[in-house]
Amino acid sequence: MIDLENTSFDCCIKCTICTAYCPVARATDLYPGPKYSGPDAERLRIKSPLLADHSLSFCNNCKRCETVCPSGVRITDFIYKAKGSRLKKSHRLRDFVLTRTDISGRLSAGFSWLVNPLMKLSVTRFFLSAFLAISRDAVMPAFDRGTFVSGFRNQAKAQEGFPRKVAYFHGCYVNYYDHALGNDVILVLNAMGIGVTAPRQKCCGVPLIAAGNFKAVRKNAAFNIASLGAAVADSDMKIVFSSSSCALTVTQDYPHLLAMDTSAIDDRLELLTRFLHREFAAGNKPAMGSLNLTAAYHSPCHLDRTGGVRHTIAVLQSIPGLRLILLHSECCGIAGTYGFKKEFHAIAQDIGHRLFDQIEQANPDIVITDCETCKWQIEANTRFPVRHPVSVLAEAVKKF
Amino acid sequence: MNESHDYDCLIIGGGLAGLTCGLACLEAGLSCAVVSSGMSALHFSSGSIDLLGYNADRTLATSPVDALPGFIEKNPDHPYARCGAETIMEAMAFFGRELEAQSAPMYANGRENHFHITAMGTLKPTFLSPASVFTREIRAAFEKRPAIAILDVKGFRDFHPGLAAANLRKNKLFADCPITCGEIELPGQTPAAGGARDMRSVDVARILDATTNLEAVAGAITAAAGRADIVALPAFLGLNRYQEILAGLRRATGRLIYEIPTLPPSILGMRLDQALKSRFAALGGVFIARDTVDAGRIEDNQVISVHTTGQKDDIRAACYVLASGSFFSKGLVSRYDRMFEPVFDCRLDTPPDGRSLSGAAFLSPESHAFIRAGVITDGQLNPQTADGRTIANLFCAGAVLAGYNPVIEGCGGGVAIATGYAAAKAIRARLHPPQPTATAGPQ
Repeated sequence: MIDLENTSFDCCIKCTICTAYCPVARATDLYPGPKYSGPDAERLRIKSPLLADHSLSFCNNCKRCETVCPSGVRITDFIYKAKGSRLKKSHRLRDFVLTRTDISGRLSAGFSWLVNPLMKLSVTRFFLSAFLAISRDAVMPAFDRGTFVSGFRNQAKAQEGFPRKVAYFHGCYVNYYDHALGNDVILVLNAMGIGVTAPRQKCCGVPLIAAGNFKAVRKNAAFNIASLGAAVADSDMKIVFSSSSCALTVTQDYPHLLAMDTSAIDDRLELLTRFLHREFAAGNKPAMGSLNLTAAYHSPCHLDRTGGVRHTIAVLQSIPGLRLILLHSECCGIAGTYGFKKEFHAIAQDIGHRLFDQIEQANPDIVITDCETCKWQIEANTRFPVRHPVSVLAEAVKKF
Repeated sequence: MNESHDYDCLIIGGGLAGLTCGLACLEAGLSCAVVSSGMSALHFSSGSIDLLGYNADRTLATSPVDALPGFIEKNPDHPYARCGAETIMEAMAFFGRELEAQSAPMYANGRENHFHITAMGTLKPTFLSPASVFTREIRAAFEKRPAIAILDVKGFRDFHPGLAAANLRKNKLFADCPITCGEIELPGQTPAAGGARDMRSVDVARILDATTNLEAVAGAITAAAGRADIVALPAFLGLNRYQEILAGLRRATGRLIYEIPTLPPSILGMRLDQALKSRFAALGGVFIARDTVDAGRIEDNQVISVHTTGQKDDIRAACYVLASGSFFSKGLVSRYDRMFEPVFDCRLDTPPDGRSLSGAAFLSPESHAFIRAGVITDGQLNPQTADGRTIANLFCAGAVLAGYNPVIEGCGGGVAIATGYAAAKAIRARLHPPQPTATAGPQ
């Protein structure tokens, strides 16, 4: 039966601006672009799922199409709904490894001393490529030792002592790959007199959405909504995200793409830099020392999509001695798990080149970005270290 | 900047008016952010800037610079009248300098208009054009009654050389010019197996941006152009490397390569958009690419803050600019029962009743009444609330304004730039009023 409730493709006026700015369509002529894959083809797909074709899988979910659309069409919602419900799944094992970050992350982080060197071996990479279709050329990020959450337990008591607190959605990245960022978040917030709690959470689900696994992502979403909702229920606590993609997924994809009821947490969700910007503006700014650092700022696609970029810029501008170069916004190519996939790795690299060139030209001391996979991609392809805005902030706080 | 403000100036709308205003604010040392809800009307434009194409009596305006004072006198409610001829020319010069600084210069025919050729093969008067459409060299070449070849790329969907040629031949300016048509194929044009390329201008621009074999493209053009001196192509000669491609093709073919704007998204408009945004970022402006200002809080005839849909932010600034465009951009909204400006509910100048919104003929020199509808402002570009109070720190610019018809007057780009610039000037005067000269007094 035709789903008459979702005919928002009628808002599309076929101006083709989305396809004109699609980084994937620029890199390969195998992808017909978001206009065709989204609103155009949806008209056919609602008549027969058989009309869903595999060109859909080229979309990297960067959402630049939605950022540029003058008519406000939720283009990627059409694409991912169709991918999830109408395309036959391929690469099931690979997708399991890449998308079940809670499982693969916990296992690998527990054995990071073994996994990290192993991942660098060409023989491992050969097997990853042959059996899991994970690109041999992709630079695999290194796991941290153990999990952030287990380390956090030691601090949890001290955090209870703060009269004001936030609930921190650390996400898989901080939990398995970068405990230092999580500790920087705590350091900065503590310096502002705010304690941190870490409610139980599962992966936000953005890699599962990319793989079209809606059953699993709904389970994660339900868990997160319930857990976060319970954590903030009896207070006015905010839920803050250090990852721009986790923030986008929970604030936009949960209610829109997945049609989940997020009313229990809606008015609490904030990207961490938005929270900090508002605190700073209200006078609660931590004491900072001067950094003497030139940084190029790359705004991640998912942050641009939510309009939150001004908060990060404002926070960075408040750091003494930080000279900021704003890069022209471009997709870095990696788009979460996209660039790791064998069939898309070359496209991801091709997309990223323009950003890498911009960074080379700016020649900063460091690159700053809010997104963990942008960080991986830029570090793998340029000679510059990449930091999260809050880590730079933490450095200035430590310098005081 | 006052500590309680996020920015000196917050601009609603990231099109030509908003970006011009933003650049002028930044150049004046003011902090500035633009909230944009998607790409602007530049993507639907020719990429040339019309200042004044037609006089008040609908005759062709030879020199807009000379015609403006008279035009303003006859149209006292026109946005141009709010700026004044002097500020308008100052704005055009400012706009030119900003693009020059971004290495994307635009060219004028002195004080006069020049023509650009449309995809239909008609001529449109305009004031500023990019290097592929108008330069001194192009003017000299057309004056020699040259042989012209109008070429197309095989499979391109949005242009018909025969149609353009047939109309051009009817024009007495081209009576002595032999005009031929032809088609070329690009290296790398054949899509991979299963390829899904659509062959719109953006697709061709991408093929050319990626080509390492510009010589082959030049060879194809030379072969198809015969003995033509000028080769006109749809505007698709690259989005990033366009200057290099244009220069390279001109050099290798020995012909003057000319670009004709075609259907949206307009490559010429996208290049302009890109240059303006890059300049805005380079000067330290904050561009919010996707959010929508949905409401403004007004107290004591001042905007206190504006609210955004996406971030649910209350953004505070010392001054605000409404550059949200016309009906298409949702800067103005028309319902069956009323027409309104959705952010501040500013007072509008609207046609007296719903029936008169549009004329009987779709294409007619009388145009349609809805085009003139928009926000009423005073000489400072300040609008009024619905109950008639002037909002002192809100300024309006571009297509949201009432009292002009960009189509029949040929002034859309000029109004956007002039009012955007004039708004920035008014904001600077408001935030940094000229200090009275100190009089000598007792020490």
